[in-house]
Amino acid sequence: MNTHLYLMCYQGEALVASHLNAEQFGAYMAVGTQKHTSGNLLFFELNPEFSSDFLRWPAAKVDCAPHADGSPRRSKYLSIYRVLEHVPLSAFGKLHLVTRDGRVLSLDAANYTESETSASVHLYTELAPVCPRVVSSLSPAAFARFITDPANPVSVPRVFFSDSLIEREADGSLAGYLPYPNPAHIVDCMNDVEGGKTKKTKTVERNPQLVAFYRTIGRGFFLGDAGGIKFYPFPTRDELDDRHHVWWRSASLD
Amino acid sequence: MIAAESAARVLPGWWWLAPLAGVLALVMAYYFYASIMRASPGNARMQEIAGYVREGAYAYLRRQYKVVGLVFLGLLVLLSIMSFVLGVQHRLVPFAFLTGGLFSGLAGFIGMKTATAASARTAQGASESLNRGLTIAFRAGAVMGLTVVGLALIDITAWFVYLYKYHHVVFGGHPMNLETITVVMLCFGMGASTQALFARVGGGIYTKAADVGADLVGKVEAGIPEDDPRNPATIADNVGDNVGDVAGMGADLYESYAGSILATAALGVAAATVGNWGIGQTFAYLATPMMLAALGIVLSIFGIFLVRTREDASMKVLLAALNRGIYVSSLLIVIGSYFLIRALEMPMGVFWSILVGVVLGIVIGKGTEWATASDFKPTRFIADQAQTGPATVIIGGIAEGLLSTWIPVLAVCVGTLLAFAVMGGFVDLLAGLYGVGIAAVGMLSTLGLTLATDAYGPIADNAGGNAEMSYLPKEVRHRTDALDSLGNTTAAIGKGFAIGSAALTALALLASYIEEVRIGIHREAAAAYEAPADGAPYVLKAVGGGKYGLYFAGSDGDRDSDQFHTLSAFAGTGRNAVVVPAPDGNGEISVIITEVGELIKGVEAVDRDGRRLAATKASLEDFMTFYNVTLMNPKVMVGVFLGVLMVFVFSALTMKAVGRAAYAMVQEVRRQFREKPGIMEGTEIPDYARCVAISTAGAQREMLLPSILAIAAPVLVGLFLNISGLLGLLVGGLCAGFSMAVFMANAGGAWDNAKKYIEAGHLGGKGSLAHKAAVVGDTVGDPFKDTCGPSLNILIKLMTMVSIVFAGLVVKYAPMIGAWLNLGN
Repeated sequence: MNTHLYLMCYQGEALVASHLNAEQFGAYMAVGTQKHTSGNLLFFELNPEFSSDFLRWPAAKVDCAPHADGSPRRSKYLSIYRVLEHVPLSAFGKLHLVTRDGRVLSLDAANYTESETSASVHLYTELAPVCPRVVSSLSPAAFARFITDPANPVSVPRVFFSDSLIEREADGSLAGYLPYPNPAHIVDCMNDVEGGKTKKTKTVERNPQLVAFYRTIGRGFFLGDAGGIKFYPFPTRDELDDRHHVWWRSASLD
Repeated sequence: MIAAESAARVLPGWWWLAPLAGVLALVMAYYFYASIMRASPGNARMQEIAGYVREGAYAYLRRQYKVVGLVFLGLLVLLSIMSFVLGVQHRLVPFAFLTGGLFSGLAGFIGMKTATAASARTAQGASESLNRGLTIAFRAGAVMGLTVVGLALIDITAWFVYLYKYHHVVFGGHPMNLETITVVMLCFGMGASTQALFARVGGGIYTKAADVGADLVGKVEAGIPEDDPRNPATIADNVGDNVGDVAGMGADLYESYAGSILATAALGVAAATVGNWGIGQTFAYLATPMMLAALGIVLSIFGIFLVRTREDASMKVLLAALNRGIYVSSLLIVIGSYFLIRALEMPMGVFWSILVGVVLGIVIGKGTEWATASDFKPTRFIADQAQTGPATVIIGGIAEGLLSTWIPVLAVCVGTLLAFAVMGGFVDLLAGLYGVGIAAVGMLSTLGLTLATDAYGPIADNAGGNAEMSYLPKEVRHRTDALDSLGNTTAAIGKGFAIGSAALTALALLASYIEEVRIGIHREAAAAYEAPADGAPYVLKAVGGGKYGLYFAGSDGDRDSDQFHTLSAFAGTGRNAVVVPAPDGNGEISVIITEVGELIKGVEAVDRDGRRLAATKASLEDFMTFYNVTLMNPKVMVGVFLGVLMVFVFSALTMKAVGRAAYAMVQEVRRQFREKPGIMEGTEIPDYARCVAISTAGAQREMLLPSILAIAAPVLVGLFLNISGLLGLLVGGLCAGFSMAVFMANAGGAWDNAKKYIEAGHLGGKGSLAHKAAVVGDTVGDPFKDTCGPSLNILIKLMTMVSIVFAGLVVKYAPMIGAWLNLGN
């Protein structure tokens, strides 16, 4: 029975060992138990062999033993709180996105080049360890460096965030298909950071309710710190509709 | 012998085109059905899902027909007592009632059988091309449309041939006159109405219980999308589309179609006999609605073949493809009816009335589109309101729904006045009312096509569901989505059309009700037949409530013979009054002749001034005067209030029924999710059949009370408040019911499309707060547009039909009850 190591990282972090594969684990966490996770569930699959004082893998693996009747152990919590910062970037494998009804989309990491960012203002939704939504004139890599810079009085050791869609109509308002609450405020914030006029980053909302979250994803997800960045590109809408239709229908619902 | 006697009443050769058109409709329906069945039903998964839906639909129908069968049995017994024991109705009425119900149910069954077979085939057709998908779905709808018009016209013409040519041959006695034939045939409408009410109310409750249950638990609580096979209620939801929007709509429009033809025929005969026109002209007035319906069938078939589209069709192009069929056949019906009217030597006013009806149908359809489609302001307004939450969505939807009544209501007002005026109604009331009736027939003449467009909607919807549940490729799903979106628009238009036609038909039925009262009085008078003393030409006898019978010698004692030797009358001093010696021999009284027995038409019964007694029969105005049908009569006003109350109570009952049935469904779906955790993880199959059974049981249980109320109210009001109160009830019910039905259908449609507009990527799109608010509006609107609104159509017509069938009972017993309660006549 294979033992997998997962790092759940939205609204709290948890390191979990499980005998379930990613698809089963996502479905289990979303709908397979009465204490299910309501709303968006995102988790990474980690390479359990990473070397760290933080995780004593052989012992943890023993803890994640099958049940007495031989059935697989679905979740064995190994650690909670400040997990993200203790796992080396190289150990992060696939990112799995789970819908409320338990459908799972798995994303592979890809090379990220800074030239891909051309927009002057970005909207970032931070997912771990804190969860504000911010606009920034910084590119994703620069933003990750900025927010994890210890010299910055407001910083975190590592950040996991998504690049969120932002599109403006000819009159400057946000495009109608974007589900953000209070779009006028986002536009005001964008105007404040545009071209780095007054500040590089501005908080739009401290702890937003992620409405129709997966529909807001732009280029994808980023995980980084001063030492580097990992990029998980999000498929285009056509690809989602074509190749991941079942997931996309669930993801579009809420 | 039979041939010889039946040949004595020869029908003109051209008349046979009417039943032939009915047969043609059924042949074409079978042709389309066979062509659909030849199409591939898709892969095993598609067939499996279609099989679930088909089994669910059949299970529902089996149960519904059992319940309806019992109700029909009860009504049959009641009608038989009225006909054979009390003698207040013709003996054939119970059988006419049965055939109306049978054919209406059969039309719904065939439509649903085809629809459930067509959904997977439409999805499979869409995998080949958009046009192929459209053709299969539309032709499946056409099976429904053509079956409805075919069965209705065959039923009407078969009854007519039988009553006109063979009834007296088979059972002996005298040939029936055209007045009696038309009013007996009118009674078959009650069977159709009763069946339609159960189909609509039951189907409406079923479909919304399943839909609301599936949405509330599946979508809102569990977060699973529409048509996801993990949702235990998803099959019931798909079944609901068929039983509500196919079988229910078919039975509803079957009744409107047949009712408009029968009411107009009855009015035509009444106008002709009151006007003392010749038999040729009378027959032309009777046959015109049937011939117009026949012409409409031929043109509907032509229109069906015009519906096709190209591969890269947009929503607009698809809608244009459907509209092409409707517009071309509407134009042709106008042109064709011109030549028909000329050929039948009818006044040109009839042609103009038909034109008014055809235009009215299009105006109401367009008005509904304006009120409910997201391209227009009302729906956009509701969508905008969603940005501020569910409360403003509800307020906005109710306001737009209320406001939207102005188009169909004003259209019906203008249309009624025009159709009335062009037939010279302001000079000859009955001719004017005939104009209104023929406008309704004109509006419904291309029903074969209109209904095809309407029934297409749920078929395309089910095809979309089948494609989703079968995980068909993207391009197929996009095609079925396009067909489904189009179906939503056509379904809303179809509902508007059904309501508009119900209003116009009910007006014609209201007028023909008086014809039934005329026959009711005659029947009551004849039942008291008394042979005149030797040598006397006739004897006059009071039968109570100001009604009289003048009895001529020669009856052999048979009930029919008594009627043929009776001249019925009521007290009156109007324009048509004659003065006769009082029954007690003291002085004279003034009476107005209501009906003249067939065999005494030539009798020289004269009043003291030497005028023939039967010279002029009572006009509609005479009846209004006799029964004191004026706004100053409190019984009329009370009746109006009760009619309005009926609409509100009936709406409340159907809404609460949906709530209760949906509650049971919600509990069941929650139970399945709770007790079978593997459903959500995809390792266990939900118990679809249990949800189908719950919705079915809920619908059957809940439909009884509103349905029985709709049947009982006109009888009770008639018995206690007599004809005046009953007419008030019908008028109140018609006006409030029509407006309420339009309001509910349009508000519901607009809420639905406001949600879809947001889902299309506006105001934040799917999942946004505006979307959540719009979902609340849509959920509220569901029973509005799919249960209450459509059921009100039937309520309006059924109350009139029940009044017609029970007219004899009311005519005879209401004066007695009125006297007992000191309520006057």
